[in-house]
Amino acid sequence: MNPAWTLISAFAGALLVLLLPARMAGQSRVIALIASVVGALAAAVSCLARLKDTAAPVWSFDSPWIPSFGIRFHLAADGLALSLLMLTGVVAISGVLFSWNVSKRPRAFFAYFLTIIGGVYGVFMSRDAFLLFVCYEIVILPKYMLIAIWGSTNREYGAMKLTMYSIGGSALILVGLVVAYAAAGGTSFDIVHLAAADYSPALQNWAFPILFLGFAVLAGMWPFHTWAPTGHVAAPTAASMLLAGVVMKLGAFGALCVAMPIFPQGFATWQPVIAALAVVGIVYGAFTALSQKDLKFVIGYSSVSHMGFVLLGLAAATHWGLRGAVLQMISHGVIAGLLFGIAGRVVYERTHTRDLGELGQFDLWRSLPGAALAFTLATAASMGLPGFSGFVAEISVVIGVWESYPWLLPLVGLGIIITGAFSLRAMYRAFFPVRDKEQAAAAPSLDPLTWPEISAMVLLLLVSLSIGIYPKPWVTLVDDGLNSPLFQSILSLP
Amino acid sequence: MNYPSLFYQLLPEAVLVITALVLLGVAVTRESKTGKPISSGLAATIAVMGVVFAGVALGFAPRDVDSGSYLISLDPMALMSKGMVLGLGLLAMLLPPAHKEIANPGEFFALMLFALTGLVLTVGSNHLLFLFVALELASLSLYLLAGFSRTARSAEASLKYFLFGAVSAAFTLFGLSFLYGFSHSDTLQGVASAVAANPTSTLGMVGLLMVLVGLGFKLAAAPFHYWAPDVYQGAPLTSVTLIAGASKVVGMVLLIRFLMIGFPAAAGSANLGQMAAGWSMWLAILAAVSMVFGNILALAQKSVRRLLAYSAVANTGYLLVGMSAHGAASSGAALFYVVVYALATLGALAVTAAVEREHGDDSVSSFAGLVHRSPLLAVSLLICMTSLAGIPPLAGFAGKFILFGSALSDSSALTEGMPGLSWLVGLAVVMSAISLYYYLSVLKQAFVLGEEKAEEGEFPLSLGHTLAVLLPAVALVVLGLFPSLLLDPIKSAVLDTLGITLGLR
Repeated sequence: MNPAWTLISAFAGALLVLLLPARMAGQSRVIALIASVVGALAAAVSCLARLKDTAAPVWSFDSPWIPSFGIRFHLAADGLALSLLMLTGVVAISGVLFSWNVSKRPRAFFAYFLTIIGGVYGVFMSRDAFLLFVCYEIVILPKYMLIAIWGSTNREYGAMKLTMYSIGGSALILVGLVVAYAAAGGTSFDIVHLAAADYSPALQNWAFPILFLGFAVLAGMWPFHTWAPTGHVAAPTAASMLLAGVVMKLGAFGALCVAMPIFPQGFATWQPVIAALAVVGIVYGAFTALSQKDLKFVIGYSSVSHMGFVLLGLAAATHWGLRGAVLQMISHGVIAGLLFGIAGRVVYERTHTRDLGELGQFDLWRSLPGAALAFTLATAASMGLPGFSGFVAEISVVIGVWESYPWLLPLVGLGIIITGAFSLRAMYRAFFPVRDKEQAAAAPSLDPLTWPEISAMVLLLLVSLSIGIYPKPWVTLVDDGLNSPLFQSILSLP
Repeated sequence: MNYPSLFYQLLPEAVLVITALVLLGVAVTRESKTGKPISSGLAATIAVMGVVFAGVALGFAPRDVDSGSYLISLDPMALMSKGMVLGLGLLAMLLPPAHKEIANPGEFFALMLFALTGLVLTVGSNHLLFLFVALELASLSLYLLAGFSRTARSAEASLKYFLFGAVSAAFTLFGLSFLYGFSHSDTLQGVASAVAANPTSTLGMVGLLMVLVGLGFKLAAAPFHYWAPDVYQGAPLTSVTLIAGASKVVGMVLLIRFLMIGFPAAAGSANLGQMAAGWSMWLAILAAVSMVFGNILALAQKSVRRLLAYSAVANTGYLLVGMSAHGAASSGAALFYVVVYALATLGALAVTAAVEREHGDDSVSSFAGLVHRSPLLAVSLLICMTSLAGIPPLAGFAGKFILFGSALSDSSALTEGMPGLSWLVGLAVVMSAISLYYYLSVLKQAFVLGEEKAEEGEFPLSLGHTLAVLLPAVALVVLGLFPSLLLDPIKSAVLDTLGITLGLR
């Protein structure tokens, strides 16, 4: 099974779901699950093969697509891409499991869901800037539909805001890419070719921020993050999981693998600005999360804060920093998926409220002990406690920052402390309210956890724990990607 | 003048004219026999067959460049454009006119054929006066077609179209006379050599400016677009599809021919920091105004027809971005994009026609719940509108990407480290992003809202109407996945033609 099966399974699954006759609409979730499992298996098999022999040539598929314009259908999967494919596969499976009870227009729901997954797989494997951009944009419309049709709070507004931010970011990316294409001689969109071209410093200095900002909007960089909390809150559970879990990573991935390698000198100029914005994002996201009433808003702002670590790792531009950024992408993908799954599916669909004050009356730690346990563990992971993926990722980023911008560390530390504060606050107020016996006895009883929910929570927790306890395979995979010549121009910056 | 050879060269046009005459004859005999006018279906069938035969005839037409004459040019770009115009004309005729709008389908489709004849003749004309006559044949038929339905709105549309058209035709003719006076020649090649000898001549520039006013009207470039919203809204939709599709492609071909064959030496430059007087700069200004005006006004529209009219203005802006790079590759990309744009607009108009006939108006809210009532219409609308917004994997995305990419590389300043045309391309891309908002507001009605409409049942659609909806959508998907299928032939035709006339080969 080669990595291409990720892409094929997702798009074939989407098509198959659409073609299902109306009376079998209920079965679309089964098809979606099979497609997600096949994709995740393909990613897992490829990861294992890569781990066994990182010296082997990277799997790739390269064929002419629009030859007169120098565009090729070029996919390749080195360790970095494979680790992100693996993340996508895991989030996809748990997303389907957390959507097991979707009964409104299930065929369309899972078709949009799988299209997003397919687009994400495509971005991670693309080695041609045009192909990457195509996959990047394929995601936009299904995102809108998922939120606008199946969403909750303020869904039409949230969907439109998110879509306009995404397309605005894409517009900047498009400008940046065609500028790079034209300035490199107008012969090829191959990312390695574009990165090898010799651009004048002046051009790099104005073209880099355009391209980088385009990607950073989707990565939730402050002050362009406001789409993220509203979008996450408006979205149905599976869409929040995808958005926070993988779609925000597309932006970070693009910044790392497209914007920075193509214009390394431009990056060097803007590096301090990016670092500053990233730190502001970390602190601002954490402080804002501290004052939220809606559980999903807490998680939404925590995503902004956590993605700040990714951007900070990128801005550090040392090996530790880049590695930490990618590990944080993976770690946050899993943890955010879990938190949104519990808040949106497990809790909200039973209690019909996400208000931290109102949740108290349900005594969730008694009525849903499994969910309370999973949320506690996820909170611990999100705070970056040792043993969970968050710790490995954040410590790598911090080392990277120590190497490049040591004077930023106090602010990062402040961000980490506030993260602990808002995580614990949300966890206690939602799951462990202080109540006397009479109040507790009056708590309404809730439906017990279902098997799809339990398996999704266990899957995501296991992945986070496995990274936290034994990070070596993930680090090996990420380093495999970072060792490619593409990143040498960044790593060799003074 | 050798009439048999002229007939041979104009075989497709001849087939169209003969079909129109046959159609009129059949209509008259039918009406005198049965007392009722010919049925819309029969008239459309005859017209569609005529266009198909014309397409076949085009396949047999001489493709040897030298066989063109003083009047007619048979270069690869002309033949390619004729094929595309015929194809878009065919799609327009598949969309059946509303029964209550069209009293006499025989005359209506005969006029469609005459308009198409004029359009096909225009793209293949080499002589300035012949070109003008062909263009007027098309325009006069289109004015009539716009006013064919007996409503006040249609009459208003026709009058506006005619008044604006007549003024711009006068400009064009006046400009052509300047060009003749300047170059003492009545072909584009003659003009080209005069321009090459004296690129900054005031006489030549004034002539070109006036011709550009006329073409700007045809293309609905702001500020020459004022007819468009009213015509799109008031005219019968079948006529609108011809105006929005084939006619726009013809305007684009003429623009390429005039500028790239006649005036390559007077292009000047619109590059940031290297501005130089010439048509490149004029087009850049027109492009910027059209994109901003079209997109901003489209945001406020409640009527889908008017929305598509402003989207036409905006899209003309994108096309002019490609032209202001004054390169052969970007001209080819612009020609590809205009065809893709026309396909998407035709599909969207065909869906609008179906909705309008069901609901009685074309307001955005009458699209509510479309997906529950007719998945075919809703999905086609989704494909066409997202293609217009430039979302992959549809042809509109590939078209825009390639258009903007080649505009930047043809302006050729970036390789020297200058910003070049990136200011204009940046504006175009940002405007294109904004356009997603209004396309999405229609799609929101169709896909998100109106779930209660599910009970109202399917839409009745005739075969022709189904094809008019389906074919553009399929074409947009296929061309989106494999743009080379159409891009490569267009690009090589444009390169060959411009190469020959520019003396590059």
